Amino acid sequence: MKRRTLMTGIAGAAASWSLPALAQNNQFGPKELIDAAEKEGSLTYYTANFAEVEQEVIKAFNKRFPKIKVAMVRAPGGQLITRIKTEAAAGKLAADVVDHSDRGLMVEIADLFQDYTPPNAADYRPDALVHPKFWPGVTLGWCIAYNTQLVKNAPKTWMDLTKPEYKGKQIGQVVGPSGGTTWTRIMFERQVLGDDYWKKQAETQPVLFPSGAPTSDSLVRGEISIAPLLYNIIYTKIVEGAPAETLFAPEGVPIIPYADGITKTSKSPNAAKLFMNWRLSKEGQEFAIKSLGNITSLKDPPAFPKGWDPKAVKVWVPKFDEFEKLRASWVEEWNKTYGYRQ
Amino acid sequence: MPASRESARAPRRLIAPLWIAGLLVLLTFLVLYPLAMLVFGALSDSNPVIDGFAKFSPSLDHFVEVVVNENVHLAFYNALLACGGGTALAVVIGLFFSWIVVRTNTPFRGFIAGASMIPLFVPPLVAGVAWGILGSPKTGLLNIALKWMDIDFRFDFYSMTGLIVVFGIYYAPYVYMFTSSALRNMDPSLEEASEVSGASAFTTLFTVTFPLIAPAILAGTLLSFVVMLGIYGVPAALGAPANINVLTTYIFKLTAWSPPLYNTAAAVAILLMLVTAVLVWAQQRVLSGKSFATVAGKAFRPRQLNLGPWRWFTFVLALVYLFVVVVLPTAALVIAAFRRFLFFKDFNALFDAKAYGMWHFNAVFDNPLTMLSIWNTLKVGIVTAIIGGVVAFAIGYTVNRTSLRGRRAIDLLATIPVAIPGLVIGVAYLWAWIGLPGGLYGTIWILALAFVARFMPDTVKALSTSFMQIHRELEEAAWISGRGVLSTIFTIVLPLARPGVIASMTLLFVLAVRELGSSLFLYTSDTTVMAVLLLDYYEGGNTGKTAAFSLVQTLILGGLLCITTLLSRTGTTSATRVG
Repeated sequence: MKRRTLMTGIAGAAASWSLPALAQNNQFGPKELIDAAEKEGSLTYYTANFAEVEQEVIKAFNKRFPKIKVAMVRAPGGQLITRIKTEAAAGKLAADVVDHSDRGLMVEIADLFQDYTPPNAADYRPDALVHPKFWPGVTLGWCIAYNTQLVKNAPKTWMDLTKPEYKGKQIGQVVGPSGGTTWTRIMFERQVLGDDYWKKQAETQPVLFPSGAPTSDSLVRGEISIAPLLYNIIYTKIVEGAPAETLFAPEGVPIIPYADGITKTSKSPNAAKLFMNWRLSKEGQEFAIKSLGNITSLKDPPAFPKGWDPKAVKVWVPKFDEFEKLRASWVEEWNKTYGYRQ
Repeated sequence: MPASRESARAPRRLIAPLWIAGLLVLLTFLVLYPLAMLVFGALSDSNPVIDGFAKFSPSLDHFVEVVVNENVHLAFYNALLACGGGTALAVVIGLFFSWIVVRTNTPFRGFIAGASMIPLFVPPLVAGVAWGILGSPKTGLLNIALKWMDIDFRFDFYSMTGLIVVFGIYYAPYVYMFTSSALRNMDPSLEEASEVSGASAFTTLFTVTFPLIAPAILAGTLLSFVVMLGIYGVPAALGAPANINVLTTYIFKLTAWSPPLYNTAAAVAILLMLVTAVLVWAQQRVLSGKSFATVAGKAFRPRQLNLGPWRWFTFVLALVYLFVVVVLPTAALVIAAFRRFLFFKDFNALFDAKAYGMWHFNAVFDNPLTMLSIWNTLKVGIVTAIIGGVVAFAIGYTVNRTSLRGRRAIDLLATIPVAIPGLVIGVAYLWAWIGLPGGLYGTIWILALAFVARFMPDTVKALSTSFMQIHRELEEAAWISGRGVLSTIFTIVLPLARPGVIASMTLLFVLAVRELGSSLFLYTSDTTVMAVLLLDYYEGGNTGKTAAFSLVQTLILGGLLCITTLLSRTGTTSATRVG
């Protein structure tokens, strides 16, 4: 996250805060909650998202609530879950708020979390919610990105990624088993674009990457020309002037709502609640869309990413039971189709 | 005199078993206990902290799963090939350099010695990233330059050859560290004898010099091979684009999947340990029953070979090596750190001044975690180097210089951690130590403890070669003169082994600063370290910030290197004086 981008983003978000502060604060909770939270003064935030990105979230939160210090622990998804479980078992869980991309894993440890509902709960898409304790503070979405210096005839749809003209290591693909976000995309490909989509796409001999970040880096460097990417991974680079462009394909945009919750053992439950309320609020979501390249699970999005036509773009959310049930066998098939050794 | 020896022996009879018991308890806590957690994990599906030991129902399922898995076979084969090739290259380079620096009159030896250590300070992930920037087949800087020069040849570092070359050049300093201190401490009269008997300098080198420092060469070879086996960064950055899996990248995948398969990863790790155990055993078989004492109770001056005009040839050779391992990747990192994006339309785009600036450094230092992580890393590094140095000295001395019962067990226990990949042992440390009473968890001490345990083999082995070279007669002389054991250690052994001690502590500091695997589980928001932040920048797909931050890290480590080089120089002269 580059400073200037964020400053522009933050300034933009700040400009929209035109209502009197008191009325605004009410959307984050009653005055008693805010007072109690400020009295607690700090909270510990565990996240599976990128630390840099979450630092910006914390900064934006502190613009609104400067008296609450947020300490962060960041680890990759699977490792974060192991840590939470182990700390909890030893009675040393330090987290007040946990932010995680894998809803399945979070549901398994729902016992460690307390009941929580944000003030604007009714504004959220029901299909983005998998458990009453967890809320999508972060929602990410898949776009198609390409290097503008290398691609003369840019793809316009997901189906275009099967065209022979992009054959021969021009396309980069994040491998199916890399995690919940990619699993969502390949599930979308098979359910929406057709059972043979993987086979046709694999015939273009894409370069396989272990995760999204190196894929976006390779795209900017010109190692590959085209790649399906999570929008937030490439968005900030484009804002800074990277030779890349994105599009949201008309067949659908697979989105990944995160599962965020407040732990039962939270030592700062009020600060935790306020932090969650703010992140889930219209203001918090708008900040994430404009400055971080997130999507949102709000029914009525406060902002849209560039090139997102709300009339044309179809958001696709996986059915949670299928998300869990199909995963192992489909990922294995994906590996076979793409010749990926796991 | 007999009376005084008698009185010295009496308390020793009591102290010795206590001393051994103390070391065994310490090693049990640092090594055996976490290892037991690991074995427990590999034999079950449970997390010992969460499920407790009551639910333990042992099964070999994970081992069977791993042994029959074709992908594991392939990863195993790739790992052996990459690390075997890399080690061979590292030994050739490392040995050549220590010979040039210590035993010849090649010009600017001190400079060469310092500069050739630089690769050691580069985290493997950064090395991989740097060589990806240089040698990727499509957009690598080397290939862009070749294209500009109209040369058809293209480098491809996303390959097995690339892995071997990068491993080889980055782990050569390991071999160098071991062999150069051995060469420095070697009595040259043996070589002189050979030459007086008519052997050529070349023959002497291969029939006298190298065989005499065989323990150091073997230790360096073994250690670099085993350390390479445990490296994640290089194969992750260079192997992954070509779909080349090694054991570590496989283990990382197991731990990164959702849900993470730690129990399977533990099984792979234990197989890896068995391989290492065989290697260590083989090394001991080769060395057993031979004396490698080359430092005797006689004064000597390290001898230098006059190469005549050939010294300029060795100098140029050294420069070429330094250009390849230091200048090229550093240039790649500097370009990446100061350049906004790494897209090069053509070779000339490389010189577009507008594309360069301080953006990445500003962003890195704008992040409040950066200063915190640097401060924490220094604290952890220093604590680790001091505690680890003391522990390693105690163990190394006990194992190499005494004939106390139990020392073999101590040696074995202190060697085990080398074989366990950091990512897996990280979880074992967490399982083992989180439940301890007191506030260990969440402090830098738990990190330091993990590093001391994890790098004990490296430190002990580095020290052992120094011990092996100090002839017993020097200590015996002190005892005969009425000195006690402790006094002998402080007046004879410690000064003589000082270059080795400082080298080991430096090594420990460097390893601690670089260590990622075990940090990932033990750091908390207040104890973030640089390696964790570096992984975050890398995983965030930001080569620029990764490069900028790793330059910062390299500068810090480089500063330390200068200090210790000075310290070990004064150490060498004082050791010569004492000898």
